Amino acid sequence: MWFVRFLSSSIGKKLIMATTGLLLLLFLCTHVAGNATIYMSSKVFQSYADELHSHPLIVIVFSTIFLFIFLAHIGMGLFLFYQNWQVSKSRYSVTTRVVKNTFSSETMPYTGLIILTFLIVHIFSFTFSSSEVPISVTVKELLGGFFYGLFYIVSFIALAFHLNHGFWSMLQTFGLNHPRYNDAISKLTLILPLFFLILFAGIPLYFMTGLGASY
Amino acid sequence: MSSINLTLKIWRQHNSDALGNLETYDLDDVHTDMSFLEMLDILNEKLTKEGKEPVAFDHDCREGICGMCGAVIDGIAHGPEKEVTLCQLHMRNFSNGDTIVIEPFRSRAFPVKKDLLVDRSALDRIIQSGGYVSVNTGGTPDGNSLPIPSSNAELAMDAAACIGCGACVASCPNGAAMLFTSAKISQLALLPQGQAEKKQRALSMVAQMDEEGFGNCTNAKECEAVCPKGISIRNIARLNREYLFAALTEG
Repeated sequence: MWFVRFLSSSIGKKLIMATTGLLLLLFLCTHVAGNATIYMSSKVFQSYADELHSHPLIVIVFSTIFLFIFLAHIGMGLFLFYQNWQVSKSRYSVTTRVVKNTFSSETMPYTGLIILTFLIVHIFSFTFSSSEVPISVTVKELLGGFFYGLFYIVSFIALAFHLNHGFWSMLQTFGLNHPRYNDAISKLTLILPLFFLILFAGIPLYFMTGLGASY
Repeated sequence: MSSINLTLKIWRQHNSDALGNLETYDLDDVHTDMSFLEMLDILNEKLTKEGKEPVAFDHDCREGICGMCGAVIDGIAHGPEKEVTLCQLHMRNFSNGDTIVIEPFRSRAFPVKKDLLVDRSALDRIIQSGGYVSVNTGGTPDGNSLPIPSSNAELAMDAAACIGCGACVASCPNGAAMLFTSAKISQLALLPQGQAEKKQRALSMVAQMDEEGFGNCTNAKECEAVCPKGISIRNIARLNREYLFAALTEG
């Protein structure tokens, strides 16, 4: 089957990572837009959450699609991590990396695993939280806590590093590398992670610092 | 002309099956105007006189255009200087008293034959699988019968500068041969002569690359940074495009 041959080739596997990565980036955009309502007031946030959950079919279909996208991205990522580890272990007695900006690229599997841990914690504390307490109350209670808030902030920093290499890497895998656009792309590899870092990590900071006291 | 004293730690391995190890040699009065390979020649002369086995290393033209030489010097393929092969690296890049670690290019697809000699025929097999254009016999076509935009000709020429030394594979954290394969695909994909077979070429060369046991590209850019010919990873983006298009329409 040409499709199986294509997706099991080295470039095909990269394309799975890039395509699912792009879809996950779009998911982040919708998620951050919803979360931004927290900065307005608990009322606005609660009405957003109620509105969303008054259409259960949308939530179920959307969640199922993204469950598969997440599984594909994580599964393929771990498989590539294992394959590359097999090729690269104990090669040289002296290893020098020439490219300076390697932190994000070298830590991709690790930042990915931090995000996975975060995802599990996040789903169990919010998606499957008790339906008797309003979500706007749960958010303030959980994210206002020092350790819980800190865990969220660390996870969003990991997400920022993951996106820093991931965004550029995705475009390179799609074949998008042209002198006309490369300057804009290299700016976006900083702006995009910072955008998500400020909006997402701002929420626990908002509650932890007491700025959201009157929320 | 100044000279320096060096301590060399060189990978010694009797054959493909033997276990290798780093051996330490002291070499004094190395002229700084020597090339790295001339320094190894001096070492080998010394070793021969002492009745020891000289260090085996690959070399041919010694002017940076054949792609035969190469070793990993202190963790960097072809050594610390940018865009030069090992034979064009001069000893003035080192200081008196330096310890230099010299290891062969390593990859799962490059078995070590002896000391610093590695078998890079995996790269040849990638070219054999599609890195050519088929030309039918007949009269010679007129030189200007095929219009080629100068920017395309330049990009094709830049890709064709690849000498197939394997430094990209050796320094890739995953041992991927993407920069090499992308250069060999780009030099033909950018020109009208390469169009007829472009899809089959991309499919076969990537299939061969995977079969040889090279790793997967993670866009770490190390290959581009050590390439003695300055091949850009823009070629890898082109390879990804070529492969995607070929796989979706003819795979």
